[in-house]
Amino acid sequence: MSESRTTTVLIAALGGEGGGVLAGWLVDAAGGAGHWVQQTSIPGVAQRTGATTYYIEIMERPEGDDRQPVMGLTASPGNVDVMVASELLEAGRALENGFVTPDRTTLIASTHRIYAIAEKSAMADGRYDAERVRRAAEQMAARQVLFDMQAEAERANTVINAVLFGAMAGANVLPLPREAFEDAIRSGGIAVEANLAGFDLGFRMAQGERPAGKKDTTAVSDDDGLGDRTLTDRINRNLPGMLQELAREGARRLIDYQGVGYARFYLDRLEPMVKADAVRGGTSRSFAVSREVTRRLAVWMAFEDLIRVADLKIRPERVARVRAEVKAAADEPVMITEFLKPGVDEVASLLPPALGRWAIGLADRAGVRYRLNVGMHVSTTRIRGFLPMWLLSRLKGWRPRTLRFAEEQERIDRWLAVISDALEADYDLAREIAVAGKVVRGYSDTHRRGIRNFHLLMDAVPACKAARPPARAFRTLLDAALSDPEGDALDRALAALHGENAAA
Amino acid sequence: MAERSFKKEVELLRLGDGDTFEGEGILAVTKALLQSGVSYVGGYQGAPVSHLMDVLNDARPIMHELGVHVETCASEAGAAAMLGASVNYPVRGAATWKSTVGTNVASDALSNLASAGVTGGAMIVIGEDYGEGSSIIQERSHAFAMKSQIWLLDPRPNLPSIVKMVEQGFELSEASSTPVMLELRIRACHVHGRFATKDNRRGTFSGQNRIADPSFDYGRICLPPATYVQEKDKIERRWPAAVNFIRDHDMNEVFHGSADDVGIVCQGGMYNAVIRALQQVGLADAFGESAIPIYCLNVTYPLVPSEVTAFCASKRAVLMVEEGQPAYLEEAVNAILRKSDVQTRVMGKGLLPTAGEYTGEAVLHGVARFVEGAVPKGVDLAPVLQRYQQIVDAKAKAVRLLGEPIPTRPPGFCTGCPERPVFSAMKLAEQKVGKFHVSADIGCHTFSTLPPFNIGNTVLGYGLGLASSTGIGPNMDRRVVSVMGDGGFWHNGLTSGVANAVFNDDDGVLVIMNNGYTSATGHQAIPSSVKGGGIRSGAFQPDGQDIERALRGVGVKWIRHVRTYSVSKVIGTLRDAMTTKRGGLKVIIADGECQLARQRRIRPEVSAKVKAGNRVVRTRFGVDEDVCTGDHSCIRLSGCPSLSVKPTSDPLRDDPVAHVNNDCVGCGLCGEVSHAAVLCPSFFKADIVRNPGRLDRWRQGLRDRVISRLSRSSDATRQENAA
Repeated sequence: MSESRTTTVLIAALGGEGGGVLAGWLVDAAGGAGHWVQQTSIPGVAQRTGATTYYIEIMERPEGDDRQPVMGLTASPGNVDVMVASELLEAGRALENGFVTPDRTTLIASTHRIYAIAEKSAMADGRYDAERVRRAAEQMAARQVLFDMQAEAERANTVINAVLFGAMAGANVLPLPREAFEDAIRSGGIAVEANLAGFDLGFRMAQGERPAGKKDTTAVSDDDGLGDRTLTDRINRNLPGMLQELAREGARRLIDYQGVGYARFYLDRLEPMVKADAVRGGTSRSFAVSREVTRRLAVWMAFEDLIRVADLKIRPERVARVRAEVKAAADEPVMITEFLKPGVDEVASLLPPALGRWAIGLADRAGVRYRLNVGMHVSTTRIRGFLPMWLLSRLKGWRPRTLRFAEEQERIDRWLAVISDALEADYDLAREIAVAGKVVRGYSDTHRRGIRNFHLLMDAVPACKAARPPARAFRTLLDAALSDPEGDALDRALAALHGENAAA
Repeated sequence: MAERSFKKEVELLRLGDGDTFEGEGILAVTKALLQSGVSYVGGYQGAPVSHLMDVLNDARPIMHELGVHVETCASEAGAAAMLGASVNYPVRGAATWKSTVGTNVASDALSNLASAGVTGGAMIVIGEDYGEGSSIIQERSHAFAMKSQIWLLDPRPNLPSIVKMVEQGFELSEASSTPVMLELRIRACHVHGRFATKDNRRGTFSGQNRIADPSFDYGRICLPPATYVQEKDKIERRWPAAVNFIRDHDMNEVFHGSADDVGIVCQGGMYNAVIRALQQVGLADAFGESAIPIYCLNVTYPLVPSEVTAFCASKRAVLMVEEGQPAYLEEAVNAILRKSDVQTRVMGKGLLPTAGEYTGEAVLHGVARFVEGAVPKGVDLAPVLQRYQQIVDAKAKAVRLLGEPIPTRPPGFCTGCPERPVFSAMKLAEQKVGKFHVSADIGCHTFSTLPPFNIGNTVLGYGLGLASSTGIGPNMDRRVVSVMGDGGFWHNGLTSGVANAVFNDDDGVLVIMNNGYTSATGHQAIPSSVKGGGIRSGAFQPDGQDIERALRGVGVKWIRHVRTYSVSKVIGTLRDAMTTKRGGLKVIIADGECQLARQRRIRPEVSAKVKAGNRVVRTRFGVDEDVCTGDHSCIRLSGCPSLSVKPTSDPLRDDPVAHVNNDCVGCGLCGEVSHAAVLCPSFFKADIVRNPGRLDRWRQGLRDRVISRLSRSSDATRQENAA
């Protein structure tokens, strides 16, 4: 039997990324070098944004042997020499399928993430833990070339394919010289210069060069951005060191949101919580309860009402951010249009509580509460659109007198009271309740559902206390509240909890 | 203007004696058809043979030179019926489609064709869409071959074998008066390789050498008593003729090996996988030299009993590697051996999976277990099993290290797809009129059944969206909404769905996706396609094969056009259709050109304009991170690949925020959805003016001055607040 063996290459890509072009380059390079080469792929709908693969086998012609080798059409576990993945999760999929084995596989993958639909449509954080993939790759690959190729591609103003191809060449695992790869790009004839630049970056990274690191732009400064000594002193004096930075961030947020007085109010609420936390053993638990409260309280107190949205939308630094994001050149005007659709609730929320409630009640009785939304396209880069937003943002001083303000404070007080109360009974439970501070968020329907879920969760705390362990019982409810937009999962979880308690 | 152009590659079809072809499987098949002297070809697109249709279309000039007619058929039934040309006349022809679904559609014509028998060679190139990446129900075309007695070729998946089978297939067809099917698995269609070419042959008769007089033979008509005679002829003459031809021309292959007390019988298409599995456990080399003998069935129907018994007689056991179920071959081999009193054990299903694709992994498992059980002579089992165990252990270890399954990544609507907004609208309309039953169809729009939409209760076949609502419609509280693509509409939906619904006075709602092409298969043209791209949308079209004209022609009264991206309008139109007092069929034509096709069309135009210094406005959407609260409602109403999430840069928050990446084509759905759903104000639209004119600059300057004045006063207030 002949000792010759084919070199097998499996490319995992996402449909529409042009994995076919990459595979085509490799076939050209191998064919150009006079090797036997075969490529297969899965055509059809898999190439409409889903995960797809391209499989290539290459064999150098043994001298004096003209027989055509029998090449595989599909990759087989334990039989892949070069595993290429255009994205980290796809590298994970390759690992899962057994295509990366310690005896022979070189794993070449980009570490950037493109989130799968289940990851990105989760209501909270549904992202797959990338560390799992890195850990598995570390142990399973004979060799690995992992770096953020998307970033490199952007640097070279090209597509990820070119960088991947460069990394394949630079890894020295294919029976081809660098020139063969580059010739394949040239004969492709499309965006040759940019692709060669990307190829070069990939090649050098695979040879061990480190990326041109971003310059550290965080200037070291004594100024904590609070502009108010008394706040700084309070934070330094009354909060444990590990919470101070977070609290400063919270205070800064609230000064920006409303003013120094509001930031003081934040600390007024936070300090007793930290004290109670310390008494309940927080010192040995990294102040887990207080940490959650410190961040969630600041976010909640800076709730997004119309005034806040208008304020954020018209800031000059925002225009600069948008320009950078959409890659507008310096001399290109950019027009920004906002999509606003305020309705009865949003307008009423700006009125004083009594008046606002009356207006909502009126609309409810007339059956038009959710039907009077006015869709507006507001161009904040035009004076006509900027002006009303600017005026709205100037209502900041009025905010504490609004219905929305009153309601949010009431809810925050309830939340804080429930946490304090739970702290007496069960530390972990208190921590979970503190995390639940994030369920009230979003706008319109999402916000309304968040409020409903919030109250259901707070109401369920006594039942959770009866369960064992209480923290896990509450966490189950919280996860349910964050798992579907309709709130069905929470209703089911509540029913289950009450059922269990009744049975116990 | 199909998604993929073969304009350059079709030049390979001109290669002649002594040349070497290098390229893709489907192109090689086309070359083989020309080398076989076909006079007509046609088919209907569908993966994995969509590109065969593209090749045929792009090769029209070459085909014309040879007098070969190319027909873009309306459906697989039409394509199969086209093979009727070979019934009476010595003309060779070929048709192609996706199987088994296309074969289902074609089966009426196929039965008649097979019964009548052929004079000229007739070949059906079927793309067997089975296993990984398949978008259809999992069945075997083998059953069709058996029931109609059409010979089934399953060549080894390399170009020389495929080309040889095409050429011999025509001879077999003529020698046995029977049509043949060439089965190409999904990967074989796109396998890249090379073969030595021959000159193209002109057909006896063709467009350039036409038939003078028609021939009539009652024996060729499918009507009693001729049909009875035809059935007998199949059994008594055609079948034995085929078996003899296959044997005499060595269409099946035997590969000898040293361990000849056992053997492997495989379908031709499985041969490479078998060799690879043997190679992985050290029992074969890269050139296919195997220790275990292999009988490779390049023709899987009919079997040649004498060959089967000759291969098996001296062996204790054979492994039958047969992909798909039912296990027709395994049963047939067993029957042949028992009838000839050969006692060789036949293993197959059980060692190998009963159902599902025979991936490299599946065949490796099967072969390893077969070797372990059968203990071939002269084979040292220990290293074989050790190698196998290593592979199994490594995979298990990787799974253990990952600890959690990798999330699936199903296909979905492309960035900016015009069909997505229709389903966003349906999701929102549900909140207004209540949940309704959706009778879905085949096409890109079937992705609506996947997350995040999960819309569509049944899928019954191409163009059958409306037809599949007729039973459930009258039994539902609310009107049923059916979906149909423009491709399915022309394929059969116009008659099976629309005309039928009008005829029966069915009360329902039909949404027709008018995107201009059969998009899922790669943008092949359909009757309502517009030359040069784009779609006919909106108002009544005075001429051309227009959807609305067709609808009116069959008596539909309630017709509305709506631009798909106008989500609020789509919702309103759906609500009207759902609630109107008028009975009968309500049709909404959802206009929106396939964005992939559109981008391919306009990108060069735009970049030419930019280059020429003309003013061009580029639109993109974005999300303000500090306004986004991270609940991802927008993603659940869109699922656009360019709308994703990114880690928040806010140290006070933890959940990732929505983010629009640079693939955004500015279709406008994000803005429409935030309006229609009253979602959230974090989306913005940015219009970037390239090559701005003087007016642009002046206006921008003025705005910047005024706005920065006002902003400064806001900044001052913020400072005061802070002080």
